[in-house]
Amino acid sequence: MTGPEALLKSVYSVLDSGEFQEAVWRSSLHAEERVPQILERYSYIRRLAEEVLEARRRAISNMEEVLERLRESAKRVNLNLYFAETAEDARRIVGGIIGSGKTVVFSKSMVAEEIRLREYLEENGNEVWETDLGQLLIQLENGKPMHTTAPAIHLTVERAARLVREKLGLELPRDPRPEDIVSAVRGFLREKFTGADYGVSGANAIAADTASIVLVENEGNIRLVTGLPERHIVVAGVEKVVETLDLALKQALVQAAYAGLFPPTYMNIISGPSSTADIEHRRVYGAHGPREVHLVLIDNGRMKARGTPLEEQLRCVRCGRCQWECPVWRHTANVWGGEVYGGPMGVNWTAITEGLEKGGELSMLCLQCMRCDEVCPVEIPLSSIIHWLRKNYVAGLLS
Amino acid sequence: MLEVREILLMMAEETRKRGLPLPVPRDALTSWAEGLGLARSGDVLLYTGALYQLTPYINAFVDYLERLEGSKASGFLLKAARRLKLTGLASAIAKPRKEEVEYSQRVLRAIVSLLKRAGVEVAYNPDVDGYSGVLLYDLGLDDVFKEHAVKVYRALKDAGPSTVITVDPHTTHVLRNVYPKYIDGFDLTVKSYLEVLAEKGLKLEEIGGEWVIHDPCLYARSLGIIDQPRTLLRNAGIRVLEPKRSGKMTYCCGGPLESIAPRLSKKIASRRIQELSAVSKNILTLCPICYANLSRVSNDETVRDIALVLTGDLR
Repeated sequence: MTGPEALLKSVYSVLDSGEFQEAVWRSSLHAEERVPQILERYSYIRRLAEEVLEARRRAISNMEEVLERLRESAKRVNLNLYFAETAEDARRIVGGIIGSGKTVVFSKSMVAEEIRLREYLEENGNEVWETDLGQLLIQLENGKPMHTTAPAIHLTVERAARLVREKLGLELPRDPRPEDIVSAVRGFLREKFTGADYGVSGANAIAADTASIVLVENEGNIRLVTGLPERHIVVAGVEKVVETLDLALKQALVQAAYAGLFPPTYMNIISGPSSTADIEHRRVYGAHGPREVHLVLIDNGRMKARGTPLEEQLRCVRCGRCQWECPVWRHTANVWGGEVYGGPMGVNWTAITEGLEKGGELSMLCLQCMRCDEVCPVEIPLSSIIHWLRKNYVAGLLS
Repeated sequence: MLEVREILLMMAEETRKRGLPLPVPRDALTSWAEGLGLARSGDVLLYTGALYQLTPYINAFVDYLERLEGSKASGFLLKAARRLKLTGLASAIAKPRKEEVEYSQRVLRAIVSLLKRAGVEVAYNPDVDGYSGVLLYDLGLDDVFKEHAVKVYRALKDAGPSTVITVDPHTTHVLRNVYPKYIDGFDLTVKSYLEVLAEKGLKLEEIGGEWVIHDPCLYARSLGIIDQPRTLLRNAGIRVLEPKRSGKMTYCCGGPLESIAPRLSKKIASRRIQELSAVSKNILTLCPICYANLSRVSNDETVRDIALVLTGDLR
């Protein structure tokens, strides 16, 4: 079975799971309530969102120029910059840096998922660990992230505990609370952090003028992933680059607010490797943080999306609010999605990264109810893009 | 699982052949107006877009699809559908329930009577009235939609009104916001009857009662029709209750997926009716599709169209 029928089959399989339905619905309710409260309490967020919208529009249409500027800045801060046209290119670049027999810790990155980086590095004989709790559960489950910022929302405490017990052999009390799981996993991952040769992260935003990587988080794992190992590799979509550092910071703040977690507990700015000039004021790289930082920018369909209706999707900050608000997604999570991305933004991101045919197939399950359009911080006409995908897909289906 | 391609092909073929997406007899669209004595032409023309009239047939079709979809009991039905093509089967099963047909007719008559009370004389031409093609547009059947839209537009222009009055959000949206993108030089004023009634400041005798309002997505987010129905209801002494998600952030009834994924559509409708029902058991709809989807999953709730509530027809 292929095409829309196969998609419907997997969607229906989760419709029948009471556990899945309850978990996703509950999370959506919480997120739906939280974002308006944040927007009300911190009135500058909406203004920042407008600024970010314009900045992203500009950066995407002047991508070549912005990337050139980043190239210059990268040299100044000793950041190794790579450009990968395809997922395969990206895997080869990262695989070439890491080699085999290493321990690698990942902070959660949807782009790493997109290019199947963890699996690739494992195949090359490395030990790889996700350190974001939700993403670790996904790794243990051998599944895919069910939401952009909350990958394991479909799992109940019981299911999460089962995974941690069975796959990691960790001991948990009889009726474990989330706290028990967190504490057990924290203990387990400590030694992975300190023993890791490489840390791999994504990026919420990248500043072209300073070659800074900006990352927001709450767990604290990103600080460890990007700070403890000697080498840090960043994988990010090319569309994440904006002109200047102030805009990159604003973009990360907007992402955090619309993701429903504000203020973010941590915000990281990484501009190249750690260094010290404490002796004779001569700069030596590799102080307490990494001594190498590599940034791999990935195209994987993004550049060619420009000039089509999908161009507007490129300015997405990946907050996932459209997913929480979507009546279909609330029953399916990212099962209504491609290999990685799901829900309203995910239909369009799937079209960008996996092709129009796959995106078109997913578009058939959209209600066109426009709730997503209403809540997007950067005013992406999500449902119109989905309709465009559907139109093209149906034309192909009937021809 | 349903064969999406077969369903789309059937709708495309039916519309090309007979102007309607389902095998429905043409007089089913216009019989509601018999005996009302409406002029055949005039400056203000009522165009129903046929959605109210089609709803009973859509319901019968969805019931059929749902049976087909429940693969356990009807694996053989699916095979049969593949072999015989959905088209043949669809015409065999598309027998609507009588009370649903009668309900739709009552709504349309109520709309005309409300317009009359507001002092608006509408003309109605059964030969011009028909289907807007909105489902074709929604489902991405672009070529068929365009062909159809051109025909509808030409018929409306030939009828010569300056204003076309519509009765449901889908037809209003497609005529006002979508047709202009497909038809060069589109030049027609399209208004929902709710907008017209509100503009005329229609005041009705005290009706009373209490209803929770379910805003249709298109009225709320595409056409900005949010205040008008509330004002009309309040002017008739009706207490309007708001559900958790209302106005601009209203929640879909699941309707647009009824022909592609009936089970998913029903799940969405169930969530919505729970939310509405938490506020009141009297649920007010402004769209035939919302009505059909919400009443399909209702238990002890009363689901009624706003036109019936405003005319005090609560049978």
